[in-house]
Amino acid sequence: MERVEKLAEQIFEDYKDYGVDRKEIVEKLRKLLIEFRVPENEALRTIRNYIIREYGAPATIRREKITKIEEIKEPNKWVTVKAKAIQLWESSSPSIAQVGLIGDETGYIRFLVWTKAKKPPVEEGKSYIFRNVVVDDFGGVLRLNVTKISEIEEIDEDIKVKPPEDVSEEVEVVGALVAIQQNSGLIQRCGVEGCNRVIKMGKCPEHGKTKPNDDLRIKGVLDDGYRTYEVIINEEGVKALTDIDLEKAKKIAEETLDRNAVLIELKKMLLGKYLRVVGTATPRYLIARHVELFRPDIRKEIEKVRTLLEEV
Amino acid sequence: MTTVFLKREVARRVFAKELVSSTYTIRDESEKSPLYVLTPLGLKCNRVFIIGVLTEKEERGEDGNIYRIRVIDQTGSFIGYVGKYQPEAYEALEDIDTLTLVALTAKVRVFEGETGKFVTLRPETISIADPESRDYWVMETAVQTLERIREMEKGESETAKLAMEVYNTNLEEYKRVVKEAVERVMEDYGEFDVEEEMLEEEEDEELELDEDEDLSFEEEEIDLTELLKD
Ligand SMILES: [Zn+2]
Repeated sequence: MERVEKLAEQIFEDYKDYGVDRKEIVEKLRKLLIEFRVPENEALRTIRNYIIREYGAPATIRREKITKIEEIKEPNKWVTVKAKAIQLWESSSPSIAQVGLIGDETGYIRFLVWTKAKKPPVEEGKSYIFRNVVVDDFGGVLRLNVTKISEIEEIDEDIKVKPPEDVSEEVEVVGALVAIQQNSGLIQRCGVEGCNRVIKMGKCPEHGKTKPNDDLRIKGVLDDGYRTYEVIINEEGVKALTDIDLEKAKKIAEETLDRNAVLIELKKMLLGKYLRVVGTATPRYLIARHVELFRPDIRKEIEKVRTLLEEV
Repeated sequence: MTTVFLKREVARRVFAKELVSSTYTIRDESEKSPLYVLTPLGLKCNRVFIIGVLTEKEERGEDGNIYRIRVIDQTGSFIGYVGKYQPEAYEALEDIDTLTLVALTAKVRVFEGETGKFVTLRPETISIADPESRDYWVMETAVQTLERIREMEKGESETAKLAMEVYNTNLEEYKRVVKEAVERVMEDYGEFDVEEEMLEEEEDEELELDEDEDLSFEEEEIDLTELLKD
């Protein structure tokens, strides 16, 4: 019921300047959607055509206030953006149909399409108008949610996207390592020249079964209480933190007859620890160039608290 | 399970006093929003990171497959339940004795009992911590708590307004709690002048303040099947 109301509101907003009657739209929509069980996009099209016919509204009308990605700064806002699909990522949950990154000439933002929204899939490299998507905040990172009442329209225009090197930045982050992902520790990478992809279930996603190389790394979550960073720490970093290098890791695996023992050991040593990471923050990852166990200067922190105490 | 960022909620820094006083829960407008608790200082949270002392660890449940733990910080105590459904935390906890400094990342749960709602934790990770990290945790939690107090004073944000409406929060009391927490740490760093200065200020205030309000709450027997829910 509430959805009919919402959809009607959307149409009403579009055509209110043409003397459209809100109640009439609601009734018509209700009939189409609830009585006749017409698909939503068909129902919307029908209503639009009706309005064009009956009220003499132009066929091309769009409320179309396009928001630039850099202008999206807070959650719980409904926006329409024109953007190119830059990258699609693996969805982690059946309730999410697609997840990835879109960009326009001003910046990038994560987006996700809920399965329930029942939208045709977005393709990498194509440009779209995402209408009525809602901004939310997950782990301090803003995302665009494509829900049932959103629309995705493919457009011919090839949107110029801000170059990625302008988006990644050098950062220093101090935070608690609150999670280490399963694909960390002693991992295997594809041995095909230039591939280096991580082997999953014994196979390279590109080359299938190949001769793998061992590697040591941590994929984890760094959290400073304000936002989270998905951090990637390479062998050198792991060694700096734990004194375990690739050779040692292999030895642990051999002795315990369990490659997973390395991961267990890393978790034991590092979960809940404050780390200081200097590295490159891309829209998705924080890639650690330098990492160390954080040694806080408590006196400095006390100063910070005192200043704030005076302010409040 | 691999793409962590999808569902990753920030682990907030909150003192026990603030979290345990929370009784109000909210969801976002967006689909699939998790349930958050709204604290008296207007923080919406469903995950926390805490460093404190593990003071109790009891086996509960029919076959003892759930630990009930108590972790105390500078302001009060957190109660948590760790079941075998959180294997990482459960196994780590088996090797940790009480009266140990621990760091934990935990989901926040609100149980509705007959005497009202109360907050418990469902730890995801638990590990042994060192005093230096604990001190840092107290400081960063103090900073973030004071920032929330400032937001409450401004009263502009939606959550601040709502928190004031729901709890009629006594901000002075929270300032005092932060001060006291920080002072306890400062003693170790020889910041005596600061300490005295603060204590003086506090004496003036003491007359106005009520007796320490009930930091503890009547804990009821929890339906342990709740723990199976994600
Ligand atoms: Zn390969």
